[in-house]
Amino acid sequence: MQGEAQASDQTARDALSGPHEPARSLYLHVPFCFHKCHYCDFYSFVDTRDRQEAFVDALALELHALAPHAAAPLETIFVGGGTPSLLRPELWERLTRHIGETFDLSHIRAGRGEWTVECNPETVTPELMRVLRDGGVNRVSVGAQSFDHRHLKALERWHDPENVPRALALAADAGIERRSLDLIYAIPGQTLGDWKRDVETALAIDPPIEHISCYALTYEPNTAMTARLRRGEFQAAPDELEVEMYEWLVERLRVAGLERYEVSNFARRGAECAHNLAYWRQRSWLAAGPSASGHVRTAGERANAFAPPGNRWKNVPQLTAWMDGVKRSEGWSPVVEHETPDDRRAIIERVMTGLRLREGLDEASLLEAAATIGDASELRATIARARASGLLYDDIDGHLTLTDRGYLFADGVAADLMSTIPS
Amino acid sequence: MSDIRNFSIIAHIDHGKSTLADRLLQATHAVSAREAQEQLLDDMDLERERGITIKASAVTVMHQHGGKPFMMNFIDTPGHVDFTYEVSRALTACEGAILVVDATQGVQAQTVANAYLAINNDLELIPVVNKIDLPSAAPDDVAMEIEQILGIPAEDCIYVSAKTGQGIDELLGAICDRLPAPRPSLITQTRALVFDATYDDYRGVIVYIRCFDGTLRVGDKIRMMGVGRTFTVTELGKFTPKQVKVKSISAGETGYLVAAIKTLADVRIGDTITIEHDQAPEPLPGYEEPKQMVFCDFYPATADADSGGKGGADFEELREAVEKLNLNDASFTYQTVHSDALGFGFRCGFLGLLHMDIVQERLEREGGVRIIQTAPTVTYQVLMHDGEVREIHNPADLPDPGSYEEIREPIVRIDIMVPTTSIGDVMKLCNERRGVFRSQQFVSGARQILHYELPLAEIIYDFYDKLKSMTSGYGTMDYEITGFVSDDLVKLDILVNGTPVEALSIIVHRDKAVYRGRLLCSKLREQIPRHQFEIPIQAAVGAKVIARETIKAMRKDVTAKCYGGDVSRKRKLLEKQKEGKKRMKNVGSVNIPQDAFMSVLEQGE
Ligand SMILES: Nc1nc2c(ncn2[C@@H]2O[C@H](COP(=O)(O)OP(=O)(O)OP(=O)(O)O)[C@@H](O)[C@H]2O)c(=O)[nH]1
Ligand code: SF4
Ligand SMILES: [Mg+2]
Repeated sequence: MQGEAQASDQTARDALSGPHEPARSLYLHVPFCFHKCHYCDFYSFVDTRDRQEAFVDALALELHALAPHAAAPLETIFVGGGTPSLLRPELWERLTRHIGETFDLSHIRAGRGEWTVECNPETVTPELMRVLRDGGVNRVSVGAQSFDHRHLKALERWHDPENVPRALALAADAGIERRSLDLIYAIPGQTLGDWKRDVETALAIDPPIEHISCYALTYEPNTAMTARLRRGEFQAAPDELEVEMYEWLVERLRVAGLERYEVSNFARRGAECAHNLAYWRQRSWLAAGPSASGHVRTAGERANAFAPPGNRWKNVPQLTAWMDGVKRSEGWSPVVEHETPDDRRAIIERVMTGLRLREGLDEASLLEAAATIGDASELRATIARARASGLLYDDIDGHLTLTDRGYLFADGVAADLMSTIPS
Repeated sequence: MSDIRNFSIIAHIDHGKSTLADRLLQATHAVSAREAQEQLLDDMDLERERGITIKASAVTVMHQHGGKPFMMNFIDTPGHVDFTYEVSRALTACEGAILVVDATQGVQAQTVANAYLAINNDLELIPVVNKIDLPSAAPDDVAMEIEQILGIPAEDCIYVSAKTGQGIDELLGAICDRLPAPRPSLITQTRALVFDATYDDYRGVIVYIRCFDGTLRVGDKIRMMGVGRTFTVTELGKFTPKQVKVKSISAGETGYLVAAIKTLADVRIGDTITIEHDQAPEPLPGYEEPKQMVFCDFYPATADADSGGKGGADFEELREAVEKLNLNDASFTYQTVHSDALGFGFRCGFLGLLHMDIVQERLEREGGVRIIQTAPTVTYQVLMHDGEVREIHNPADLPDPGSYEEIREPIVRIDIMVPTTSIGDVMKLCNERRGVFRSQQFVSGARQILHYELPLAEIIYDFYDKLKSMTSGYGTMDYEITGFVSDDLVKLDILVNGTPVEALSIIVHRDKAVYRGRLLCSKLREQIPRHQFEIPIQAAVGAKVIARETIKAMRKDVTAKCYGGDVSRKRKLLEKQKEGKKRMKNVGSVNIPQDAFMSVLEQGE
């Protein structure tokens, strides 16, 4: 549905024209998929005509335009989609080479930075893994979703669950040290027992994964899944069951040494996804590919250090429009959304995403930042209320953090805080 | 001088009064065929949209008959029972009435009610059977019904189609031949009856008058005999239907008057106007103002309930809208109220349920305010131990049980016209509604009139909808309040999370308290969103809880996937959610959506 958005006359260049800090992260969006999963609202489509080559060419142009705005060295790269692993190995080779030539990857190559590629278990081959590894990729995230055929079917997700451990083993063999997988729960028809089996299967994978993302199935507007739910084809899992699954999960993963560091993300200490953390901390990142979103913070005079305001933009979410645009304007993609820096919005977004993290929000800095734009007393009161209701607590660093119960109501707490940020 | 005929067009709702008025205007060349639009006199937006007449309109047209010119003043009246008082007013300005009956529907409840209003005012009636162009028309049968029920000979009926114009000339002839001319002046002084008034932003109040004696002229200093105020006439005129200024209005004529009158409060319908320096010894017989019988509260829909008890800007907007509308419709009353849940608002009184609906809609439409409306209630009389009788328009005002002797409620005499096949069902409905059967009257083989006495409160609670559905739409009714009678009435309170919500209280008969309480609780359970804690919803009479529902605690409120790359969408989503919450009303730490207050208005199961 994002495909319906209309491109404006603006390009990503407009978002990067002012003074801003160099971006230490880079996101690349590969829109191709085998088949459209019914729950998915990402910009992706089934690749019928082969446009992969043209896509990689256009990406090269765009990366070239973006490069001067990147930090040297770059700290994180994330290639998402769609299904990036659907790109043919020779195109991957070209792409990684191009990235290597355009950006400073010294940090990543030295193992201090992170380069993730999302993989579909069906597409992982020894050859592809080797190409990725040689190109500098040091982390894969495999979309498993479930190990149960019935539940994969319910999601209209087409892959053989047997291939998940196989794909991860191939990545490990190729020397990709950091591996993660995604699971979905609260799938219609799924029982708590089914869910436990899925999680145990994931934990039993050998060599072990360091990171796991577990998402409750969300009925996004304009997806086939939501339409089917509305038609009454099935019933959504009851909230009670979803909460039970989540609470069990958090406990089970903790025992396994995978700690929750975001509502739905768990990792061994030090193995958190640095790229996603950069998003949630509202740092600066560049965006390439159709529908990719970027954010770059302004440099110089800063209203507050807690949440420096930045430019936010989103590339046109249509492959053709994006390719044409990039070719037409020296690598600059047309954008469909561009939000210019705004102090209040920056604080709001920082609260919204930061609150979901284990590290929480530095309360003193938050209040200080709020005070720069208005009277922060209402915000202070909201925090006190949430604390009194046992949804928030202060961790040892004085960070405002969700309690176990607070995690279940993270949206409500965030909405309360956001709405009392002064204007 | 031409002959004058003053008459009203009366009928049951939708039998074609306004359409007939169109034809009369056209046949007398008051409007050209080009100007003629449907129901021309229904000029209010709401009238045009709902296809009903709300306010009576008076027009003056000229007609030639038998070689003589006739001046016809006629008034199109509303048919709905709530607006019966408009009909009464119109009739006092006339010598005759055209009783329109739909040839496919026959005599209906308001046909009878309005015909008797005319007969009791000594008016000459011309029965007209309308819509004879329709295939299902049965004019002869309808004429027989008219004879049977109203005692007017069937052969007096004139058959017309207000749609095609058939029979209109004959009707015009009959108006000239059969309706009486105005009586001659009885006294030398001037007397004009005020039979309606509207408010105009530029000229102030426009008073509709019927002159009975003497003459009124522009520049006259007039006195309103009842309210005892004087004004100077700045404009006199007639509706043709365009407003046309005239220099004078004499005995027998109808028209309007402008005299720099600032508010409708300065005018009393039914008052007599006379000339200040030559006053009539006695006023014309007037009539009683209609009494408001149905009450409900209006609150501004967006007012922030926790703004420290102040109504805020929204309340001021509502006040402005209410005051403005009251200038145009003085038949609803209003008074400031305060509710813990809803803040400041108005308790308003109406002539009936349709009137309430119309006022609410006009406030929203013309005043541009969104309104929360509470459940309608009737006026109750409470007899205190010391003999004092208090009038109560709001369940919240009911004194503590034990502090009074009895509660009395208004009783109506209701006439229900029903197809013979549904008589059993309708009688059952009346019995369930605490009705007392009085008598039954034969209309035709297919229809009868049931006469009952019923508490008004039972009628305003979905009675009409039920009647309509059990008679496939054919049942009609008319009622009139006859007095107050005591019964075992109790106040039913609704507690949300232990806190009583005054705006949801109702007064009900003890036997129905459990049923209504359950209904209310289950409606609220659907309306109030889950909170982080469990919310009991209880219905109670005094300290006794008679019904209970529980809203289970919300188990979670968290989006699983916060895709950090594109936060704008999620931010807007959360902001929207929060906005929605802000518009809710807060009672005992529970957020109640505004619609919940309205849902209790939706009646029935
Ligand atoms: N076929 C046909 N339809 C008619 C005739 N007269 C009126 N109607 C229709 O009947 C409906 C009601 O007509 P109105 O003139 O609004 O009736 P009313 O009596 O003024 O209604 P209220 O003012 O609401 O009481 C409209 O749809 C008219 O078009 C007629 O002679 N023939
Ligand atoms: S593979 Fe991923 S991006 Fe493609 S349709 Fe499925 S969920 Fe969406
Ligand atoms: Mg009408």
